[in-house]
Amino acid sequence: MCGIAGVLYKQAGTHEIGKTLIDMLDGCQHRGPDSTGFALYGEDSDQLQLRFIVPTEETARKKATDNIATLLARHDATIKSEQSVGCSYQIAVDFDGDLLAFTKDIEEHAKLVSVGHTLDIIKDDGTAHEVDDIYHVGRVTGTHGIGHVRLATESAVRPEAAHPFWATGFEDIAIVHNGQITNYWKMRRRLARRGYTFHTDNDSELVAVYLADKLKQGETLDNVLETAIADLDGTFSFLVSTPNEIGYAKDNLAAKPMVLFETDDMIAIASEEVSLNRLFPGQSINSTEPAPGTFQTWSRST
Amino acid sequence: MVKIDLSKTDITDANTRIRDYGRAGEDVEIINPDARHNIGVGLVDPINVKVSGSAGYFCGGLSDGAHYEIEHNAGWAVGDNIYSGSVVVGGNAGAIAGVAIRGAEIVVRGNMGSRAGQVMKAGTLCCGGNAAFMAGYMMYGGRIIILGDGAAKVGQDMSAGEIFVGGKIESLGNDTMIVDMDAAERDEIMEFLERYKMNYNGDFTKVINAGKKLRYANQEPRARPQPFFVSSNSSNYWNAKVQEDIWIKGEVGRYRIRGYGASKPVPHLNDIAFIKDVNAQHYKPEELEDINLKTTVGGRYGAKPLSLSMPVMIAPMSFGALSRSVKIALARASRLSGISENTGEGGMLDEQREEADQLIFQCLSGRLGWNVKDMQRADAIEIYISQGAKPGLGGQLMAKKVTPELAAIRGIPVGIDLRSPSRHPDVLGADDLVIKVEEFREATMHKVPLGIKMGAGRVNDDIKIAYKDGFDFVELDGLQGSTGAASTEVLENVGIPTLSAVQEAIDGLKEIDAGDDMDLVMMGGIKDGVDVVKMLALGADCTSVGTSAIIAGGCIACMQCHVGTCPVGIATQDKEHEARYDIDLQSQNIHRYFESLRWQIASITKALGYDDVHKVSRDDLVALTPEAADITGLPLLSEHPAWHQPEMGLEVLDRKAG
Ligand code: SF4
Repeated sequence: MCGIAGVLYKQAGTHEIGKTLIDMLDGCQHRGPDSTGFALYGEDSDQLQLRFIVPTEETARKKATDNIATLLARHDATIKSEQSVGCSYQIAVDFDGDLLAFTKDIEEHAKLVSVGHTLDIIKDDGTAHEVDDIYHVGRVTGTHGIGHVRLATESAVRPEAAHPFWATGFEDIAIVHNGQITNYWKMRRRLARRGYTFHTDNDSELVAVYLADKLKQGETLDNVLETAIADLDGTFSFLVSTPNEIGYAKDNLAAKPMVLFETDDMIAIASEEVSLNRLFPGQSINSTEPAPGTFQTWSRST
Repeated sequence: MVKIDLSKTDITDANTRIRDYGRAGEDVEIINPDARHNIGVGLVDPINVKVSGSAGYFCGGLSDGAHYEIEHNAGWAVGDNIYSGSVVVGGNAGAIAGVAIRGAEIVVRGNMGSRAGQVMKAGTLCCGGNAAFMAGYMMYGGRIIILGDGAAKVGQDMSAGEIFVGGKIESLGNDTMIVDMDAAERDEIMEFLERYKMNYNGDFTKVINAGKKLRYANQEPRARPQPFFVSSNSSNYWNAKVQEDIWIKGEVGRYRIRGYGASKPVPHLNDIAFIKDVNAQHYKPEELEDINLKTTVGGRYGAKPLSLSMPVMIAPMSFGALSRSVKIALARASRLSGISENTGEGGMLDEQREEADQLIFQCLSGRLGWNVKDMQRADAIEIYISQGAKPGLGGQLMAKKVTPELAAIRGIPVGIDLRSPSRHPDVLGADDLVIKVEEFREATMHKVPLGIKMGAGRVNDDIKIAYKDGFDFVELDGLQGSTGAASTEVLENVGIPTLSAVQEAIDGLKEIDAGDDMDLVMMGGIKDGVDVVKMLALGADCTSVGTSAIIAGGCIACMQCHVGTCPVGIATQDKEHEARYDIDLQSQNIHRYFESLRWQIASITKALGYDDVHKVSRDDLVALTPEAADITGLPLLSEHPAWHQPEMGLEVLDRKAG
């Protein structure tokens, strides 16, 4: 029920990734008018960046942020900076303990949506431009990022159900996904047995954790995507991003659309060409449609 | 040639102008297309449209006679359902290029995406490069020429037509085979390639259907007529119905197929009643005429809504499942009673169009009989996703009914056991459906209401998608809905009852604050005016009747609709059987039945104290069983406050109203 987009500039530096993704997602907003989200890779920070979703009403928000402060103190994480914007609360902390244990505890008590040294996930109800108005996504620069527009079927449209999803327990990994994983519960049980906790019933969260778990075991992103196509059943097109790479995987039935366009400088991937064409108005581009059951990755120069 | 700049004009304005130029015979160039969707959709004049750049989804779709040239790439479903004319794509095409074409020529100079030519009926789809996964999937006719390679499953589940592959074939699809091609065929292909300036000198591998799966190996035997009131008797195991079922399975060795809907007890409208002191109501029969029953359906986005004389429609039933005579009788009865008729799957008949004042044209996954001209003469359009009798399955029409006449209107081979696809080629999720909705709006100039037909499954989610995808109305069909043929496993066991469906729909729409601008039409087991009023009180805006209209028009409920030799000439394409059907007589019977609904609806509305049927509400209802109370959230009769205060003079106004 959605549209996806991703971009990676091959040369390190400050590229207008926020603006690029806003354009691309605006181009396919018809695929998902309810919420929009971005996973953006900016500068590498010494501190760990965390973003939470908190209530917008003042007293409730105060209670939530106080609670977060207590949680962090419990894990010897010192807050270096903090910022409240929209429905989110963003902080930078000094932390060098066990991230998995740390985030597992925090996620039981707070809505953590982004964790990383370079990654920042911004997501909320509304269109790409509406989210930009609040979070100034357009000002974000960096090398790569992925984004998502969503049509929600649950009762209330909630920002935490928007994509991208971070890979619970793993920093700097994000995913956007279009489609449906049909062996969701089987895969989830398998991962749960290995100690992972899930905070939504969303299949995209599962894909994120599945991929991150494999990456943690030292596999390359290419290998991980290859096994994902074999392990996951259903119809899907998804994009995954790590500190230096982005990649896609497409199911064997090719039921979900995806097109990509690559130049010497950049690679852009989206559900529909209309999003790619937003980056090159008035021009025809030599886009390609990935074949069913394929994957590919790209990395930026470091 | 006039230019239209898509960076300055929105697609609806652009398409309106293209059509105007079409009527004037003027060619058009589209500049700055930037892969936008629905360019040139719905054009029915033979002009040239040049797209200078790349096009998005459905370029040139639902058109007839026009010629499109796309300079660069095309998105999904280029040339969707074109009747005649051509599309030339200079670059690559996305998935399902040439889907459902009925005679066009589609040329893709580069590669084409998956499922090219899905459910195509006639014409030529030609690709200069490679074709991805499942080229020719479920095609019913025409030819596909692939100069490069064919990826996996070439010709998967094709029924007819030919696929010529110049390069390598990764693998063949189900029930296909490679045969030699003759010189004449090759000459025709060469002529085609030359006409489109495509250079090719190599050989071809010709792939056709192998004919092993077109018909069931064992035909469904004709069973002893067993009326539904016998077969759904209260013993639900080891009864006559179960016994017969086992015998027949022993004979055919597969699942069973039959007509009609679920025939087992489920919670239904009988389990709720009106709660009201009817003694207080005294009125004269002529007062009933002043009760407002008028109902409009489909005005959400400014299209001309259906205007019904009462909250009743005729349910979608196909010419195919039913004979031509029955479709004419239904259309006539709908006109006489001021309600709407629905084509169902399989195309629109001229006589049906003439007889019906208001006709809904249904679009199914197989795009059988689907075309732009009939869309443009319909009063409403309905995209079929599924139906209550068989959620998740496509239509089934047994070979006996696939006569030459029927095959011609549907564009399929004669005499196959037709199994329509279960999914739309171009709708694989709510996200694709949005673009399809837009294509249909463009093809009908935003003037025709657009509805969606859904079988009741996960209604709470589905209704929200229907709302968000921008439909004007929903026809929601519960488990009790009937069909011409389906497997009994699905008929009896898949989906939720109509009563649960309406409640989930109302709840789902409330959860997203949808208001009441999208009309909800409920169907599945609506037998009379009492049911209609109960449905409206529960929250529906309108109802739709199929089975009861058929019974009013002579059906004896023998449940043998799938066989094709209906004893009264209804569910048949056999001329001899059809001759038993008297259109004049039966259309009057159906009309009179509708008028009895009108009387019931008006008198119950009046008895409940209203002057307008749309004023009835849940407060007028009570549940008679714990199940019905649980499903609907209505108070259970024994717990209703009025039950404990006999001095209120409570009466339960139920079927006595009829
Ligand atoms: S009478 Fe005809 S339409 Fe009615 S159930 Fe029998 S076969 Fe079907």
